[in-house]
Amino acid sequence: MHLLKRDQLRGLRIVGIAAALFAVVAMLGLAGCSSSLPAAGNVQNKAAKTLEDKGVRIIDVRTTSEFEAGHIPEAENVPLDQLSAAMGSWDKTEPILVYCATGSRSVEAMQILVSAGFTTVYNLQNGIVAWDGDVTSGPGGTVVGSLAPSASGLPVLYEFYTDW
Amino acid sequence: MKPVVDGLKKEYEGKVEFKLYNVEKDAEGANLANQLGAQFVPTFEFVNADGSINKEIVGEVSEAQLRQQLDALK
Repeated sequence: MHLLKRDQLRGLRIVGIAAALFAVVAMLGLAGCSSSLPAAGNVQNKAAKTLEDKGVRIIDVRTTSEFEAGHIPEAENVPLDQLSAAMGSWDKTEPILVYCATGSRSVEAMQILVSAGFTTVYNLQNGIVAWDGDVTSGPGGTVVGSLAPSASGLPVLYEFYTDW
Repeated sequence: MKPVVDGLKKEYEGKVEFKLYNVEKDAEGANLANQLGAQFVPTFEFVNADGSINKEIVGEVSEAQLRQQLDALK
């Protein structure tokens, strides 16, 4: 199954934005690498904030609904059960800070990443419940619109596909 | 993808409504995709009963991911 553009022009615009975002993220990553970072492993809030300030990649390994209820502003949501699939395309030398609710799932995430060869992995030791930094809520850009409530009163899964 | 979605459709009957649109053939589906800003196929939109979008997934998706998002719908 291939991903296809419905509208080539709009699609290209998205690719452009994605490329620009990638460039910004790459620059932030380089900025982070060029300064000294705390030692990898478990970190408390203070060190985690240093990592946040340096633009280190932050991965929230909780479920999507937990993430949407409140997360560290720069965090990406990669639920623990999707981490192994997602990390295949990541740069193993890029520092990563993982966290969850209380620091239990994120320890597992850290072990998965370290076992896979990631060189600099941090775990927010007591999770977001102990986090005293900024938190934002919402789905983080995944929501693009909304619809009228369904006539059936049930939630709805829409799938848009082609025969290609 | 179709067998997986069809299987889940039966399993979630009475809990989640499944609406599948071939955007090349179905004008209503194409309009809906535009309304939701879905620019690629396949795209999955998980919509709560109140009409709010809970999650959008673009591209290939595993059965486990589908189940997770279906279970998260309110």
